[in-house]
Parts: sequence; C-alpha cells; structure tokens
Amino acid sequence: MSLVVPDGTGIDLQAGVPPSAAAAPARWSHRHLLDLDVVSWPEIELVMQTTDAMREVLARPIAKVPALRGIGVTILFYEASTRTRVSFEVAAKNLSADVVNIAASSSSVTKGESLVDTIRTVEALGADMIVMRHATSGAPYLAAEHFGGSILNGGDGWHAHPSQALLDLYTIRGHLPGGPNLHGRKVVILGDILHSRVARSNIWSLTAAGADLWLCGPSTLLRGFDRWAAAMAAVPGHGRFTLTSDVTAAVRDADVIMALRIQRERMSGGLLPSLREYAARFGLTLDRLALAKPEALVMHPGPMNEGVEIAPEVAVHPRSVITDQVTNGVAVRMALLYLLAGAAGRAREATGG
Amino acid sequence: MAEIRVAGSDVGRSVGDLELSRAWLVDPASGREGPGDLIVEGGVVRSVVWLEGADAEEIDSGGVVVSPGFVDLHAHFREPGFEDAETLGSGSAAAAHGGFTTVCLMPNTSPAIDEASVLARVRDAATRTGSPIEVLVYGAVSVGRDGETLAALGELADEGAIGFSDDGAPVRSPAILRNALVYAGMLGRVVVDHPEDRTLTEGAEANEGLVASILGLRGWPTAGETAAVARDLAVLRDALADEPNARLHLTHLSTSDALELVRRAKAAGLPVTCDVTPHHLGLTDEWIAGARRWAWEAVDGHGRARSPWADGALVAAPYDPSLRVNPPLRSAEDAAAVMAALVDGTVDAIATDHAPHTRVDKEVEFGLAANGISGIETALGVVLAAVDTGRLSLARAVAALTTGPATALGGWGWSGTRGLVEGAPADLVVFDRGSTWRVEADGLLSRGKNSPLLGRELGGRVLLTVAAGRIAYEDAG
Repeated sequence: MSLVVPDGTGIDLQAGVPPSAAAAPARWSHRHLLDLDVVSWPEIELVMQTTDAMREVLARPIAKVPALRGIGVTILFYEASTRTRVSFEVAAKNLSADVVNIAASSSSVTKGESLVDTIRTVEALGADMIVMRHATSGAPYLAAEHFGGSILNGGDGWHAHPSQALLDLYTIRGHLPGGPNLHGRKVVILGDILHSRVARSNIWSLTAAGADLWLCGPSTLLRGFDRWAAAMAAVPGHGRFTLTSDVTAAVRDADVIMALRIQRERMSGGLLPSLREYAARFGLTLDRLALAKPEALVMHPGPMNEGVEIAPEVAVHPRSVITDQVTNGVAVRMALLYLLAGAAGRAREATGG
Repeated sequence: MAEIRVAGSDVGRSVGDLELSRAWLVDPASGREGPGDLIVEGGVVRSVVWLEGADAEEIDSGGVVVSPGFVDLHAHFREPGFEDAETLGSGSAAAAHGGFTTVCLMPNTSPAIDEASVLARVRDAATRTGSPIEVLVYGAVSVGRDGETLAALGELADEGAIGFSDDGAPVRSPAILRNALVYAGMLGRVVVDHPEDRTLTEGAEANEGLVASILGLRGWPTAGETAAVARDLAVLRDALADEPNARLHLTHLSTSDALELVRRAKAAGLPVTCDVTPHHLGLTDEWIAGARRWAWEAVDGHGRARSPWADGALVAAPYDPSLRVNPPLRSAEDAAAVMAALVDGTVDAIATDHAPHTRVDKEVEFGLAANGISGIETALGVVLAAVDTGRLSLARAVAALTTGPATALGGWGWSGTRGLVEGAPADLVVFDRGSTWRVEADGLLSRGKNSPLLGRELGGRVLLTVAAGRIAYEDAG
C-alpha cells in the first residue's frame, strides 16, 4: 500500500500497517475533503490505517519523510485558530511539503478581494493543496469549484470539520477499552450542538461506525437536529442518533463523552441565560462523569473553557484523552494530506497531465 | 400543428399581419380555452375563431399555445443605480423572452423611487428603450424605504405609481403601514408588502429545516413570514375602519402557514391579494444541498418532504449561491401548499421577483451572496412543469399570469386588455409546450445570470411575444 507521489519518492506504508489492514479494499478517490458525508466507511478505515503509519513516522527520531516533497500546501485561514492551523502546518512539514501560511481576515471581503480571486491567486503562486478555514458554511465548496488542486476543509462555519471528526474517531478507537469497534458503544457529544461543525462532522463518522450516538445540550442549542435524526431513522440500515436535554440520561453508561466549547456570544441571542447556569446544568463534572462507565473516555476538541463546559479536574482526569486528540491530530492530518496528494497524482496520471 | 407567419418583424416594430392558426388559445378574461385561429392585421387582433368538431381534431393544449401577454407584479430592473446588474433595456428584453408584456418594477433602486422625479426618470428611460413592453412602477411607501417616514404617495400617484411598496424590506413600522394603507386607499392604490419579521430572520441563510441543519446554515424560520403576514392582516383590518378602499397585496408568499392566513382573511372578506414566485412553486431548499428534482418529486405518498440524502438525490455541488433568495426556498411541504393555494385561488398571481445580480455579488460564499434569482425568463418553464403534474390546470396558471395580477393591482395603469379581444392591439405570447430550451447564461437576455436553472431543459419555448401590437420577442430558431 505505498502510493507513488509525483516526484517518485513516497513512503513505504506497508511497514507501518497492521497485516489485516494492508488488505483493505478501499482506495482514496476524493480529490477534495470537504465533509465526511460522501466518504464511505471503508475509506474512513483507510484513513485510520494510514494514520497508524503516520504515527510510526512520528515515532522516528527524525519525524520527517519526503512524501510530499515538491507539493505546495497553502494553509488559508479566514478565522483565527492556533491549534488546527499549527497541526496542519506540522503535518505538512513532516511530509516535506512546501508550506505557505496565509492568515486572511474576513475583512478582505470588504476590501473587495473575493474568495474566488484569492483561490486563483494562491493557485497561480503554485499551491497544489489548500487547507482552508472559513467562518461561512460551504465556503470550501466554492473554493473547490475554482481551484485546480485539492481543498482540505479545516472547518467551515457551523458546517464541517472533517479532520477533527477523523482524529476524534482515531482517538476513540485507540483508547476504547474492549477494542476499536464502536458498534453499539455509547458516545455522547455534550454542549452547543447547533453551532458546532465538530458535532456535524462527527454525526457522519460516528453513525457510520455504528456508535450509539447521543447529542445532548440545552434545547435551544439542539434546534433542528430532530429533523436530521428523523431523516436518518427513516432509512433502514443507516446510523442514527438520539437527542436529549437530559444530561443524566445522556451520560449514564456512556463509553465516550465529548464536551464542546460554549461561546460567550450565545448569551446575546438569548440562547442561554448565563455561563453559570450552563455550567450547573450541562457542565461535565466529576459527578456526571461518575454516571458513565468506569473507563469512559473524556474528550474535548478545544479550546476549553474550564469550569464552564468541563470541570478542570475532569479535563486532566486519567480518563481524559484530550492531549491524545492533539497528538493524533497531526498524524490524521498527515494521512489526509498524503491520501489527497495520492488521489490528485493519480488523477493527473489518468489525464496524462 | 399551428403555423405562425409574421410579416415585417423586428423587436419594437409593429407585428403587422400575423396568422396563428390551429393553435390552443387560452383566454382567461372570457374563461375560455380550446383550439382556434387568431388573426392579427396591422398589429390589431382582427379575429379570434374557436374551432370545433372536425376542425379542432388533433389540436390539444400540449402544443402551441396562444395566451394574452403575461403580467409580472414584481420585478427588479435595477435602474437607476445598479445598471451593471440590469437595465430597463435588458430587463424588458428578458421579460419579453419570458412571455411578459407588462412588468411592475419595485422601487428599491438607488436612489429609491420615493419621489415623483425619480419615478418620472424611470418611466422616461423605459420609453427610450424602444421595447414595447409596458413598464409600470411602484413608489416607495416610506422615504428611503426606511419604514419610518411616509413617502410622497400622492405625488408619486400623480406621476403614475401603480401602488406602493418598500420591497426588499417589509414596511418596518406597523403604524406607518397602517397610514400607508389608508392614504394609498384614498388614492385608489394598493400597498404591496414584503412580509418578513426581521427579528426572526436576522442573519438567516436558508429555510430552517433538514437542509439548513445538515449544511450548517443559519435557519430562516417560517414564522419570520407568518408573523409578518399576521401583523399585516391585523393592520389592514384597522386601516379599513379609516378608509374602506384600503387594499393590501402580499408578495412572494412561501409558507403553508402564511397562505392559510390569507385563505382565511379572504374568506372573511378582507381586501387582500397575494402572489407566489415560480421558484417557491417548483424548487425547494434541498436544491442547496445539491438535489435538482422538482418540489413535487420531493414528497412521499403522504405529502411529506423526503430526505435527499436518503434518496441519493444529491447530484450537484451544495451551496450554489444562485439559490440564495429572500424568502428562502422552502420545504417540499411548503411548495405543495403554494401549489394548492394557486389551484384553489388563494393565490391571485404568479410574480417572478426577478432579481438580477452581478457575478461580483453572487459568485461568493453562500452566506455572503446577494439574495435573489434572475427568474423572469424561466418563470413560464417552471410553471408549465407544475402544470405537467396534472394538479394545476393550464387555464389557472395562465390566469395567475394575466388576469390575476390585473385584479391585484385593481386596474391601475392598464392601457391594454388582458384577453384575446377582437379589435384591440395585439398583446399576446405564443409558446410551444412541445418544444424545450436549455437555460444557458448566454441565452438569457437579462444581465443577471444568477439562475439556479442554468443547464436545465425547460418546456414551453416562447416563440413570439407581442406587446401593444409590436414585436417584443421573436424566437430566432
């Protein structure tokens, strides 16, 4: 399972992949990664296996391989972010890509430079891949329409954050007592579901994994998800999820609890009375964690408001895998950059370009 | 098969002599439709002959249809101020391509049409385009369309305003709306409101529903429309106490609940009329996710909206900004309610809300794109697709494009008749239900190429549009 990248280098993935995984039938066929709704379960498993290989790379004394040498990766963030941007940057550099960082402010919109202009400019400057973060849902789809290379969605509005969902899945699989199979295991996402791209992308991947997914938060922040749940439930064989504002019912016997960040601006729209009230009713405290299974995993995509959605002692609890999420983030993003470059390379070969 | 012979053609010229034989005539004014011959001489309808018996054999409503020219109660030709999006010339050409011979323009230009001098300028410019399309103009309800200070309604009416509207926005203050209804009623004019409660729709991007939830778009609740319609009807009731001639028209209704409020208000005898757009009839919010099926194809056997994700109906890229429109494309249930309200007469008119935009304003992130669909050229094709379902009759659809809008305006501003009338200047559209055309940017005469139907085949190709006895559009093929 080694992929040939355009300069003929590539890495030998075989060595890093467990024998069973090497036989995986899936091949990565997507030029872009915009969301997980169009990614099949075998493809998700391929990402997991490729991430295993990247973790082996990261364990080497010099965690650097030439897989993406000569490939231009532009990290184009229209929204402030430290951890995701740095995670992608480290991932791309570990693969020897030529990395350009652009911190575009959304105010460039008012200055008259459109997203389409920016994408064309970035392409003209030699980018083969763009990792993009944008405050507007769907923006990467517009970029993908006007870019000759690959777009990797680093988070768009409330819509999607596929690399986060994949690193969440990878982290769960790696730490879940009883093995990596999530089928029937209770996973709870707790917090501001309405505004969360992390929750939306996780719905696709966790239901595909067969998890017993629960979304829990104040009813104001679950708005509209009942329709999604009903639409999923109406299709036999599809995954499904449960909505509740009853935090006790949600966390009881949970295998995984993922708390989401609550943002202060939610108060201005009347969605929440106060952070104090939120922390009291929905915060992930030791008392609530005690209702979950004894070895339940505690997760958070960061950045955390300790004392609001998660108690400080829960964040550093032995069952917390929050720092593992960060470490795995680099490996998952290496895997995604690698797979996308491979698909783009094959597409170029196929067209003789 | 009907034959069309035009002598001495060119846009703007007299249609001269025209013979439309063995066509399907639809005449909502007389309530009649059927096979017939229509002869125009020197631009004037000389004879309308209804065929019967053997003469009428093999002529049905699925071929060439002749109807009075369509009336669009709601269009934006962007002049003055936004001529890069549309002009009176390009808008008139687009209207004629769509079969419309009369258009009613909204006053949300720059400057707004809140003074008689601006209205006079627009009417003069419309005359200079050389198009025979009749261009009628609404005045603003409030100065600068700010919803706070009443515009010069009387002077605007004297200059020819056919009614008043702050369209693009609701009449913000209910107190101003009441006074506008009373004052406009005194002048014999209608007030057209864009019903939207902006406290419920601030920042909204897409109809609150399955699609918005999955795509992470800010929900646009149906209550944003229903609450505004309820307000408007309550205000109208009070206005009637002051002025019995007060009349309200609600434009581009899109929700089942709002249509039900109008249905009850009409039953109670309130002087209210309403229109719906072709896009709220035929398209739904699932198009934003990438579905491309008609609204009536998106419901199950119980009339409930289906999930395009479950159906595998997603065939296009999501977030196409040409689908961003106010009010937003709604659910398939709401679209079915629009169809039902058209059928039962709750809806008086089909209006396009033709809203051309430049690429600069539209080829951007979905949430940042200007609201609006360039729809005056595709309206007929979408309406005929609805007729093809068998639920909406051709006669009812044509009435909603001709006599219905005339009723809503209360007869103001009309120089033509809305029927196939012998002795009157020809004002008609000829279209072929058996012939399709592909919607393409280059083929649209509007400057606004912001149509979600680009690339799609539509039925009912317009062969000829005649306004005031003059050629407005003629199919080159």
